[in-house]
Amino acid sequence: MKNFSDIQIGNTIGPREQFVSKDECRAFAHSSGFAAPRFTDDEGARKEGLPGMILPGNMSLGLLSKFVTDWIGPEGGAQLVRISTTYRVPVQPDHTLVFQGFVTHSVPEERTAEIDVWIENEEAERLVTGTATVRFDK
Amino acid sequence: MALEFDQSLIGRVFEVTDPVSVTPEKIARFCAAIGETNPLYTDAEAAKKGPYGGLVAPPSFAVMFRNGRNFFEHVPRFGRRGFDAGKDAEFVAPIRPGDSITLTSHVKEVYEKTGRTGSMVFVVIRSTLKNQRDEVVAHIDHRFMNRQ
Repeated sequence: MKNFSDIQIGNTIGPREQFVSKDECRAFAHSSGFAAPRFTDDEGARKEGLPGMILPGNMSLGLLSKFVTDWIGPEGGAQLVRISTTYRVPVQPDHTLVFQGFVTHSVPEERTAEIDVWIENEEAERLVTGTATVRFDK
Repeated sequence: MALEFDQSLIGRVFEVTDPVSVTPEKIARFCAAIGETNPLYTDAEAAKKGPYGGLVAPPSFAVMFRNGRNFFEHVPRFGRRGFDAGKDAEFVAPIRPGDSITLTSHVKEVYEKTGRTGSMVFVVIRSTLKNQRDEVVAHIDHRFMNRQ
């Protein structure tokens, strides 16, 4: 279980790789009711001027949130209380995504830490960037 | 030059959705789609011993609740077609199976930024999620960007 006293500015999280398939992208789009062609088929996406299928923005937010909650761990002891995401470049499925983060700020009175998090592609291009706030119980 | 738009839009609630029920199956489908394996979110028995005393949805499940059919009619437009530039999500309380969630939405702010590629106008729509006990569970700020 993580405690606030264990957290130092500059602590790194990851890198962690996750391959996201087109089927997972489609499953997310259908389960969320955002099954627009750009999220479900390459041809439909190209008609919208995209290079092929892309992940819904909410899926990127979900994957980044999971990256943080995985770091917190199943024991609890801390909660993800906020995440802010910026979609810089469309994220394409059938690629290995790399998740990384580092602690940039902490507030002892609130026992919170701010963590810059981002998703890169195989070429180290930052596709989605964000800031997560984690609050610790102790 | 100051942005020209109907300032009375700011803060005015334009939508309250019908309640949407949260089922264990919906949580499971969300978890499967993002590869979630944390037992707090995927294993009801194990979750009983966890900090929430039972299964809860992953925090980001909060972004899965859809706004109403006419949502985009209430998003002020500037210049060319806008697109989803990002989201800010604040998770206030866990969402549990059996909850019934309602979204209330308003225009939070409109602001202009100038970047390398020119002038951009951002419209932020805030959706507040409440459960059946009228408790706020999350705030989701949708950030839409329009190129001038």
